[in-house]
Amino acid sequence: MIPLFSPRLFALWTKEIRALLRDRHGLAALFVMPVIFILVMTMALHDAFMPGASIDVAYAVVDLDNSPQSQALVRRLDKSGSFRRIAVGQSLDAARQGIRENQYALVLALPAKFGERLLAPAGADGQPTEPLTLLVDPTLNPALQLAFRNQTAASLGAIRADELTRRAGKLFGLPVSPTAERDWPDEMVSVAVQNQRSIRPPSSVQQNVPAWLVFAMFFVVIPIASIFIIERQQGTLQRLRAIGLPFGYILAGKLLPFFIVNQLQAVLMVLVGMYIVPMLGGEALQMPAGISLFHWWLVAASVSLAAVAFALLLASLTRTSQQAVVVGGVGNILMGAVGGIMVPKFMMPAAMQRLAEWSPMAWGLDGLHTVMLRQGGFDAILPDLLKLLTFAALSLTAAVWLNRSSQP
Amino acid sequence: MTLSISGVSHTYRGAREAALNDVSLTIPAGGVFGLLGPNGAGKTTLISLICGLIEPDQGHITLDDEPLPLVRAADPARIALVPQDYAFYPMLSVSENLRFFGGALGLSGARLRQRCDAAIAFTRLEQVTGKLAEALSGGLRRRLNLAIGLLGEPRLLLLDEPTVGVDPQSRHFLLDAIAGLPASGTTVIYTSHYMEEVEAICQRLAILDQGKVLAAGALNELLDSDEQTLELRLDRPLPEILVSKYHAVQSGALDFQLFLPFTAALPELLAELAAAGCEIRHLSLGRQNLEQVFMRLTRRSLRD
Repeated sequence: MIPLFSPRLFALWTKEIRALLRDRHGLAALFVMPVIFILVMTMALHDAFMPGASIDVAYAVVDLDNSPQSQALVRRLDKSGSFRRIAVGQSLDAARQGIRENQYALVLALPAKFGERLLAPAGADGQPTEPLTLLVDPTLNPALQLAFRNQTAASLGAIRADELTRRAGKLFGLPVSPTAERDWPDEMVSVAVQNQRSIRPPSSVQQNVPAWLVFAMFFVVIPIASIFIIERQQGTLQRLRAIGLPFGYILAGKLLPFFIVNQLQAVLMVLVGMYIVPMLGGEALQMPAGISLFHWWLVAASVSLAAVAFALLLASLTRTSQQAVVVGGVGNILMGAVGGIMVPKFMMPAAMQRLAEWSPMAWGLDGLHTVMLRQGGFDAILPDLLKLLTFAALSLTAAVWLNRSSQP
Repeated sequence: MTLSISGVSHTYRGAREAALNDVSLTIPAGGVFGLLGPNGAGKTTLISLICGLIEPDQGHITLDDEPLPLVRAADPARIALVPQDYAFYPMLSVSENLRFFGGALGLSGARLRQRCDAAIAFTRLEQVTGKLAEALSGGLRRRLNLAIGLLGEPRLLLLDEPTVGVDPQSRHFLLDAIAGLPASGTTVIYTSHYMEEVEAICQRLAILDQGKVLAAGALNELLDSDEQTLELRLDRPLPEILVSKYHAVQSGALDFQLFLPFTAALPELLAELAAAGCEIRHLSLGRQNLEQVFMRLTRRSLRD
């Protein structure tokens, strides 16, 4: 058993901290890189995580009917607010020119007699019904084109229902306002399924702060491996063994300083999410309080143990600092890509989501999200904690075994 | 404090030949004991066995009749290693390195400060204590390597090629410093393939080659031998018949070392050279140096 406070351990901790403070590249990888990622990705994906937020795609409506019904459709489209409408004249050619000049990406043309034929099924009365026309910029994302079509179809359904209600009211002599527009019950609001109560799905900052924090924690591989390889190559580990310093001390000497580094990263990233992101126009990060904050810290601490143990394993597997930087860096990026750091897991196809289950970064991120978004208690985070701690234990055991077996 | 090595053998994992083969040596307390041999002779392996980095496959090592693992367990600082590599942290300063290794030895507080100051003073590193180790010259790095080894006031100090890659001035300083260590009660085992260094500071030595001890004893005893080494420089190559008769080793373009069974054999050799038409440009016969002893024992040059 290693005594927690001994001159030997204190000397090892001091040495690691001094070595890290003089490693500018290591410090940048641990503290500057994730802050930049959080700021850039949070702002870049600001709208992507917000259901109902306006999509920055403009459209125009050419109303060739100019009836109360066509005007009601335009108001319905405006109400949904997802796409940005730009007012144009009544000329289809001028609207086409607007697309060519990149003023907007979509033009919805409402034909003449649109209002008159609103409730007449095509050809039912022997007369053709002129369709609505959608002019599109061919470079526009097909998913957005489809979204606009669906939104228009939904608005059309709503104004048909309004018109039917109005006419039925007239028929039965009920007092109905000719401009009455109702909120029909088939309108949808996104609600995330929570543990106890319903809250909104993750915002950009709620996705990006924990994601890049987990990613940054795993970057301790660079400084840990650099120092460890220097120690091995220069015979320092041999010298320490010759003076009777057990290998357990050397591991413990690395675990605590980098665990503290990980905790500092967590504090910094959370502060960036809470105070810097709002200054740049983003939403402030809401941190859990009370026992939930402790659960959040348990996940962060487990991620840290997994990251430091994994770093020691990589340092034991690689022979040179260059190898460690390449293997560690690329390995982290792959774990991040697979584990929902760069692309959120819920945006991935099912097969990729299953693959993500194998990434330790995904376990950490899931655990943090369980606390932050689903108000999960200890039971809810326990599976992720166990996975992370098992991964840490296996990595540490493999590192010790590799170091023992490499002795002559 | 006598170190006894009895019948020690060691073969590295995956190696076909033994790095050390049935080595027995007795290293008495005090003084500087030299381990001389070419690269790959087994010097570093023997040092690694003594400081416990590897275990012998056969044989045992005792210090004052106590098995070495027990000695190390009781007092890890009693035996110190100064490895061939610069075994310290390049990103730390001289004093930070000393404080770290002192702390790793379990020293703290006033005792740690006192041992660091003593090591700095002994190796004359006072002017560079704040300098990062990576910014030191080769000679100063060797001094720092030695200073770290002295932190625990070891009774037995193992120096593995401590002067490799240093300038002549630093080499001179290091040799003087090492030669002075026995006065403070430290026994030094000094490995080198520089025979002049071993000859200059070691009172006793062992010559190793291919994992075996070829000779061991006091320096004077090893240098004194009935068999005489004759150094010759000729105007032409030595005839083959004389090469095999006198076990000659070529040490230069036309330089040869010949082994005479006794001094009286010299006139006969001179007559044979004259008969072969060889003109002598230089001839030297007298007390051997370690290079010649090594050649006599192995029929090879130490630097081969």
